[in-house]
Amino acid sequence: MKRSKRFELLDQRPVHQDGFIKEWPEAGLVAMEGPEDPKPSVKIENGKIVNLDGKKREDFDMLDQFIADHTLDIDIIEDVMAQDSRELAHKIVDVNVSRDKVKKLGLGMTPAKMVEVVGHMNVVEMMFAVQKMRARKTPSNQCHVTNVKDHPALLAADAAEAALRGFDELETTVGIVRYAPSNAISIMVGGQTGRGGVLTQCAVEEAMELEMGMRGFTAYAETVSVYGTEQVFVDGDDTPWSKSFLASAYASRGLKMRYTSGTGSEAEMGFADGKSMLYLEARCLYMTKGAGVQGIQNGSISCVGVPGAVPSGVRAMLAENLIAMLLDLECASGNDQTFTHSRTRRTARMLMQFLPGTDFIFSGYSAVPNYDNMFAGSTHDVDDYDDYLVLQRDLKVNGGLVPVDEEDVIKIRNKGAKALQAVFKELGMPDITDEEVEAATYAHGSKDMPDRDVREDFRGIEDMLKRGTTGVAIVQALEKNGFEDVAENFFNLLKQRIAGDYLHTAAIFDENFHCISAVNDQNDYAGPGTGYRVSDELWEKLKDIRFARDPEDIGE
Amino acid sequence: MDKELIESIVRDVLGNFEESGNSASPKRGSGLTARDYPMGEKSKDKVKTPSGQTLDDIEFKKIVSGETPGSELRITAETLNHQAEIARSVDREQFAKNLERAAELTKVGDERILEIYNALRPYRSTKQDMLEIADELENEYDAKINAAFIREAAQVYEKRKRLKGDR
Repeated sequence: MKRSKRFELLDQRPVHQDGFIKEWPEAGLVAMEGPEDPKPSVKIENGKIVNLDGKKREDFDMLDQFIADHTLDIDIIEDVMAQDSRELAHKIVDVNVSRDKVKKLGLGMTPAKMVEVVGHMNVVEMMFAVQKMRARKTPSNQCHVTNVKDHPALLAADAAEAALRGFDELETTVGIVRYAPSNAISIMVGGQTGRGGVLTQCAVEEAMELEMGMRGFTAYAETVSVYGTEQVFVDGDDTPWSKSFLASAYASRGLKMRYTSGTGSEAEMGFADGKSMLYLEARCLYMTKGAGVQGIQNGSISCVGVPGAVPSGVRAMLAENLIAMLLDLECASGNDQTFTHSRTRRTARMLMQFLPGTDFIFSGYSAVPNYDNMFAGSTHDVDDYDDYLVLQRDLKVNGGLVPVDEEDVIKIRNKGAKALQAVFKELGMPDITDEEVEAATYAHGSKDMPDRDVREDFRGIEDMLKRGTTGVAIVQALEKNGFEDVAENFFNLLKQRIAGDYLHTAAIFDENFHCISAVNDQNDYAGPGTGYRVSDELWEKLKDIRFARDPEDIGE
Repeated sequence: MDKELIESIVRDVLGNFEESGNSASPKRGSGLTARDYPMGEKSKDKVKTPSGQTLDDIEFKKIVSGETPGSELRITAETLNHQAEIARSVDREQFAKNLERAAELTKVGDERILEIYNALRPYRSTKQDMLEIADELENEYDAKINAAFIREAAQVYEKRKRLKGDR
C-alpha cells in the first residue's frame, strides 16, 4: 500500500511507543465490567455472611472470608444491596445527599455491587464524586525523592526543595537495598530542613520498612501491598491476616501507614482469575478497610502499564480511587509510575485527580529528574514544575505546589545537604565532602554528582545500625552542629508518635505541626460555594509565578 | 529518699495502674469525640508517655541532653484506646479496632513484633506455631484481641493450605 503522509507522521508520534492491547478477559486484561465478574449477591445466616457475590462460604478464599467477617456491615447490607445500582450511583453524585450519608452505603455493598455502581458513571461523574467523597477537605500532594546513585547529599537537597515547594509527604526508595537506612535518614533530614512537619517514608521490603519506622528514620509507611486474588496475595508473601497484624504493629509505634494496591497487579502477576481489574481492586480495598488501615495508595501505581493498555483503563484508575473514597479511606491517588510517552496522555490522566483534588493527587510526583526516579519514573517530574504551576494558575486549582524563588531553592538545598553532612559525621557514617554539598546544591540530578564509595557507605550504614542508632541521635547531631531549627523539627516529628493524632485518616501536618486530617478537616462538599476553596492568601501565592510579567514593567 | 526517685516511682505506679486498668477492658465511653482532636492540642491531659510524663514534659532540650530517653517518644495503650474512641465518633469502626489491636501490641518488643509478623506470612508456621503465638500474646501481654485474630488466621491458613509444609 502506498502510505499516506499523514499516517506516516502519526506513526511517529510518541503515543505510538505506548503499549495497547485489545481486551482479553480470560487473562484479566479488561479494565471494568468483565464478562466473568461475579454478579452482586449476599446472604446472611445466623449473623454471618454465608454467600458473597455468588460464592458459598465453604468456597470462600482468604479474601472473601476476610471481607465477609471483617469489612462488611451485616446490619445494613441486605438493605443496601436491594437498592438499584444506578440509584446508588445517583446518590453518590447528588449534592443533596451528604458525604456522610453516602459513606454509610459503602460497607453495605459487596465488592461486585460497588463495581457495578461505579460502572454507571462516566469520568466526569467520577471526578465530581471524588470532589465530594475524598476524606480530607484540603487536597495535598506527595513526591518521590530518589536517585540512581543513592547519593545522600543529593537526596537531602532534593527533599529540602520538595518540602519548600509544598509537598506534604516525601517518599524514597533505593537503587541498592542496603542503602535504605541512609536514604531514609537523608530525606527525613532534608525534609525537615525544607519545612517542619513534612512526612517521610522509605519504600522497601515490609519488615525492613517497619524496622526503620521503629528506629525513627521514617515517619510513615506506604509500601504495604495488598492484592485482589489469594494466589497473588500469597505470592506477595503475605495474607490478609499478616498484613493486618503489620498495620497494628505500625499503629502500636504511633506510626501512620497506608496500604498500596492497584488495578493490573493480578493480571501482571498472572493470576487474575479471569476477573476485571477493577473488580479485583475492589476486593483489595474492602480488605484494606477490614484491616482497619486508614488509607490506601492506589491508581494502579507500579502496574499502570496494564490498565493503561486496555480500553477504559484510565477511567478504571479513577474508579479505583473513587471506591477507596467511598469506603472512607485516605487515597494517595496514583499518577505515579510512567505509563506513556505521550505528554497529552499523561496530563489527561493526571487531570482526573488534579481537578477534583484528592488526599494526595500524586502518590509520587517525581521531585527528581526522571532518570533518577527509582520507582521506574513518574508521570511528572522536576522539569514539569513550571507547567504544573501554570495549570494551578490557569484553573485556580490547588494541586499542592507553590511557586518558589530560585535563590530560596538554592539556599534550602544547601542547608539540607549541610545538615545531613553534620548528621553523617556524628553518626560515624562516611564523610559527605564540601564538594558533594556544593554539587548537590546546584545539581539537576545525580549526573551532576560525584560517585560515592559504595562499599564504604555500606560499612558505615551497617555499623550505624549495629550501634542501635535511632532518630534521637539524629536530633542530637543536628543540634550539636548548629542546625537547631532542623533538630527541633526532627524532634517534633518524633514527638508526634506519643499522641498518635496522625494515625488518623488522611493526616498531614502544617508547618506548626498542627495535625490536619479527615477528623478535624472533614470534607464537607455539598455543591458550589462549599467544601474546599482556594483561600485568598493561597491564591495570591499561586498567581505569582516567577515568569509572569508585571504590567508596570512593560514598555519601560 | 530523693525527690526524683519518689517522683519516678509514683509515675511508674500510676502508669502501671492506668495501663492495667485499660488493657484489661478498653474503656468505652470516656466520651472522647472528634471535638477532642487533635489530642496533642485539645486533650493534652489524656496523653502520657510510657513512664507517665505529659507531652509538655517532653522537651527538645531534655531529649538533646539525654535527660529524657528516646523510649519516651512512644505511644501508650491508653492513648491508642483514646484515639480509637475518637475514630468511632467519626464512624470508623474498623480503624478503631485496628487501634485497639495496636494498643495491645505496645507492650510487645520491637524484635518480637517483627518475628510474629514474619511468622504470620504464608508457609512460615505450623498451626501449632500459630496457636502458641496466640497463647503467648494472650498470657504474656494480655493481648486478647490479637490472640483471637491469630487463632482465626490459623484456621484459615489450615483450610487454605498456607501453613508450613503446605507448599
